[in-house]
Amino acid sequence: MEKDFDQMNYYELLDVQPGASALEIRSAYNAAMQMYQPDSLVSYSFFSREERDRILALLDTAYFTLINEAQRAKYDQTLNGPDMELHRGVKKPVSIFDIRRQSAQISIRKNHTAELKTKISQSRTIAEILSKQEIRGADLKAIRNELGVTLEAIHQETKIRLDYLNSLEEDRLDKLPATVFLKGFVKAYLKSLCIDPVDDVSTRYINSLPHKN
Amino acid sequence: MAHIWPIGGGKGGSGKSFLASSMARLLAKSGKRTLLIDLDLGAANLHTMVGVPYPEKCFSDFILKKVTDLGDAVLTTPFPDLFLISGAHDSLDIANLTYEKKIRTLRAISRLDYDYIILDLGAGTAYNTLDFFLASRNGIFITTPEPTSIENVYRLIRAIYLRRIRHFFSASDFKKLEKKVRERLGNDSWNKPENIVSVIRGEFPEKFALIKKDFNAFHFKLILNQLRKQDNTALGEQICKIIKKHLGINVDFAGNIAYDEHVHDAICQRVCFLDRYPHTRAANDLRVLNRKMSNAFGEQLIFNYL
Repeated sequence: MEKDFDQMNYYELLDVQPGASALEIRSAYNAAMQMYQPDSLVSYSFFSREERDRILALLDTAYFTLINEAQRAKYDQTLNGPDMELHRGVKKPVSIFDIRRQSAQISIRKNHTAELKTKISQSRTIAEILSKQEIRGADLKAIRNELGVTLEAIHQETKIRLDYLNSLEEDRLDKLPATVFLKGFVKAYLKSLCIDPVDDVSTRYINSLPHKN
Repeated sequence: MAHIWPIGGGKGGSGKSFLASSMARLLAKSGKRTLLIDLDLGAANLHTMVGVPYPEKCFSDFILKKVTDLGDAVLTTPFPDLFLISGAHDSLDIANLTYEKKIRTLRAISRLDYDYIILDLGAGTAYNTLDFFLASRNGIFITTPEPTSIENVYRLIRAIYLRRIRHFFSASDFKKLEKKVRERLGNDSWNKPENIVSVIRGEFPEKFALIKKDFNAFHFKLILNQLRKQDNTALGEQICKIIKKHLGINVDFAGNIAYDEHVHDAICQRVCFLDRYPHTRAANDLRVLNRKMSNAFGEQLIFNYL
């Protein structure tokens, strides 16, 4: 009643204190996603489609701003007012493990299969890349950017470490695990982006690697 | 004065009458003089759940002035300290209670001398239901964890919200407000009280302060009924959170009631579920809820119509 949803600051949107750690922010974001996802029982009939899209977009911006230290510092400067000052000093203990934690399968916003598939079928860039015989990390990155999916989202969905995903896109073979594992990673990566056919594309990626053993 | 607990939930079959009769039974058992009023006008059937198969008097007698005092329409039940105003023989057009009769009923209810009065309301969002629900600040919403039921409970909450806001405006001011909201936020926005409130906040700050104060004094509760094993137990909390965040209304989540086939059996046998199957999970949940709620409610009670 006090404030409209779109006038809340990023901390209020995610229901975290201004001094929250990255871990708290992440779990707050997960909790919010459970509530606002289109298939969530809680909010299914509460919002119209436009309202939901707006809320999800707001939450995404809030999350990706706060999770990034540089951007967060910049954002904090734009905020002023008593509530920021109040919380800055006190730091409460952070729980690093929550025993009630729900199985995290629906935590991050699902990359909507249907939405992604239409994007893939419409994009010429992606079709071009997929038709190439040699597929490199940069190509994967281009596909991902074309679809507008963040590495963070893939990381949450596939549970593959962020630095692996990064190295994968940058072809840094020395940082990556053995080929058997790598193959699994690439498949998971492609699957989360709804690229078809997974096996074929991943084989091409593996074959294009510079030092194949 | 009595504690009044109106029990509402948008959709039929969500367990309003079951909850009303069970809560009343538990309160009576703990020695509180408890009165159940079947205000599901036009679809009353509460008497079957509390062991009064053939009620001799009913709510209509009061409406049709066969009895002058609502207290004379009260029936005793087989259970000590539990009383009932039945709707079994209500006239068939009772669902369309006129405004004067509704006010007369509300006044009469406020004069009844009991420890607890539980109002079993009907499904839907007719003005009668909303006004009976707003007879007290201690309204209880009940829903099942199904999208249809949750959708209707949201609708009911929004309808109650709007009905309450309406009390703060004269008819002409309310028309003006409606026009402003539609101009500002589009035609659909009138259906969402949260939009209306955001306009009130900007346009009528003193009214907004009143409304805010008023809503802060409400202690709504939400109960999730028929929760099956596979259902998300955190659902109730999440529903309350979304209501708090987007409507600005405080609704406390009171608890879950487990789904139990025995409830159906007890109703078919026309006996009280809590007596017939006292050791089931649902019965246990009801007892826990009752204990929690009879502690948590404040004294206050309101009637805007008096």
